[in-house]
Amino acid sequence: MTSLYLRWGGLLIVAVGLSVLTYNHYQQHLSTVSPHQMKEQAPRQEIRLFGMVRGGTLEGKVKAGDATFELMGNDTSVTVHYQGPPPDNLRELKTLILIGKWNPSDNIFEARDIGLITNYGFVIGAYLIGLIPLAIFLFAMSRRVGLLYEEIKESKLYQEE
Amino acid sequence: MGAKNKKVGVIVSIMLVGGALTYLALGNFGENLVYFFTPSEVKAFSSEYYQKKVRVGGMVVEGSMEAYADRLGMTFELTDGEATIPVTFEGIPPDLFKEGQGAVVEGYWTNKHNFQSNLIMAKHSEDYMPIELKRAGVKLPRKDFMKTLVQ
Amino acid sequence: MIIHRVIRKVQRFQGWFGSGAALCLIAGLYIGLVDSPPDYYQGEVVRIMYVHVPLAHTSLFAYIVLSVGSMWYLWKRDPIVDNMCHAVAALGAIFTTLALATGMIWGKPTWNTWWTWDARLTSYSVMLLILISYLMLRTFIDDHEKEARYAAVLAILGLVDLPIIHFSVEWWRTLHQPQSFSMRGVSMSSEILIPLMCMSIGMSLLFSYMLMVRTQLLYLDRLLHAKKGRLLSQFHMSQSDS
Repeated sequence: MTSLYLRWGGLLIVAVGLSVLTYNHYQQHLSTVSPHQMKEQAPRQEIRLFGMVRGGTLEGKVKAGDATFELMGNDTSVTVHYQGPPPDNLRELKTLILIGKWNPSDNIFEARDIGLITNYGFVIGAYLIGLIPLAIFLFAMSRRVGLLYEEIKESKLYQEE
Repeated sequence: MGAKNKKVGVIVSIMLVGGALTYLALGNFGENLVYFFTPSEVKAFSSEYYQKKVRVGGMVVEGSMEAYADRLGMTFELTDGEATIPVTFEGIPPDLFKEGQGAVVEGYWTNKHNFQSNLIMAKHSEDYMPIELKRAGVKLPRKDFMKTLVQ
Repeated sequence: MIIHRVIRKVQRFQGWFGSGAALCLIAGLYIGLVDSPPDYYQGEVVRIMYVHVPLAHTSLFAYIVLSVGSMWYLWKRDPIVDNMCHAVAALGAIFTTLALATGMIWGKPTWNTWWTWDARLTSYSVMLLILISYLMLRTFIDDHEKEARYAAVLAILGLVDLPIIHFSVEWWRTLHQPQSFSMRGVSMSSEILIPLMCMSIGMSLLFSYMLMVRTQLLYLDRLLHAKKGRLLSQFHMSQSDS
């Protein structure tokens, strides 16, 4: 039984390690800023801006990768100038992530690329719901097998009939 | 557990499973034999379909999408290669909704021969690759989308 | 006894399956969650596939094991095979439920709906219903031999659903996308394929390992009951003698 608990303890440590790695990955590469936060903080470095393209504002040569539009956050919106690779997923009423820099002098966000949708909550939810019940079930079964062996040994049922 | 309880259990479980299977067989496949109609089928609808909630699947026509400037909603066209129908939609379309991609919309075919919907479901294809490969023009084998509509 | 030898043999390989599963799953989780790139169309959400697809295919594999085991049981009447069938049905039900749950979580951000009654989702839910009715049948029938026989027949009848599930996306109009592995070829680039393969192999090994543990569990349980029963009857006999 002790070896069972040791094995599962080891697995638990590995699981924690994996969660830390995933969290770091998310923080470093995938976290986003809303237009409101951006205007408040006025960051100088490159950021990932998250919002929705306002209907009826998308103009320019979209297919060629040169467009201006308004990006809506919850309450604040910001004018965006996009210049980059021909966008695959730029349309009105689209929620998206823009990678670029905020230019406070003319209130325009200069975007150089469009990031892919993150929706990380769904990903984490699916992994937790998919794997945790399996782990709990397997642990319960292994433990019960161990207990049954002990019971059989203790009650001396295995001695000759 | 007594023998009588067990008998009740057997009957209850048989009824539960049987009922569920019948519901699935009759409730969903009996009424609409197909999961969604194609634009050609919708165009051929008789007037008795005007008040019925139906689903239509097709490809969103390139360049047909126009969002309203004053409220959340848009108009676009759905095609199956043969027929094209106009769709008006209220709300925010899903992330994966895109021109040139498949979509299944739920709503009503009106007597003005316009499809009114407030639910768009985006269909995605079975090919998966990173964006770099896509931009480099890599094409992976996949089922012709129009064929998935008429099967 | 042959059964004891089988059990002992199974136990010898069990560790390999367990550690293999752990290694593959840990590698698959790392590659799938951290190292692999997002999909061009779905973005990060594609990572849900690495847990959903392995669960789904393992549940289909579980059903195949169940029906083959049931046929074997009807032919040979080997009680350990019956234990295995009983064990695999419970595991199949769990894997199916989890595949449905993760599928729902994948459906919301991609399709924009948690659930819809298209052919794939419906036929797959029918498999869950069959497994649940199988387990209910086993719980509610008293006679052990009868229980095993009826359950085996039910499992074999339910096999009809398997090709329906597999081909539903090719035969009918569905919201669910067609198969990525088909006669058309493999519709995945290697960056996406590697984590999926890791998780798939890991999940199959995990399933085999869980099946061994559960078969053993049911077997030991039955053994203990039988022996206890025998002791009890011996005790009663000795009492009635005196």
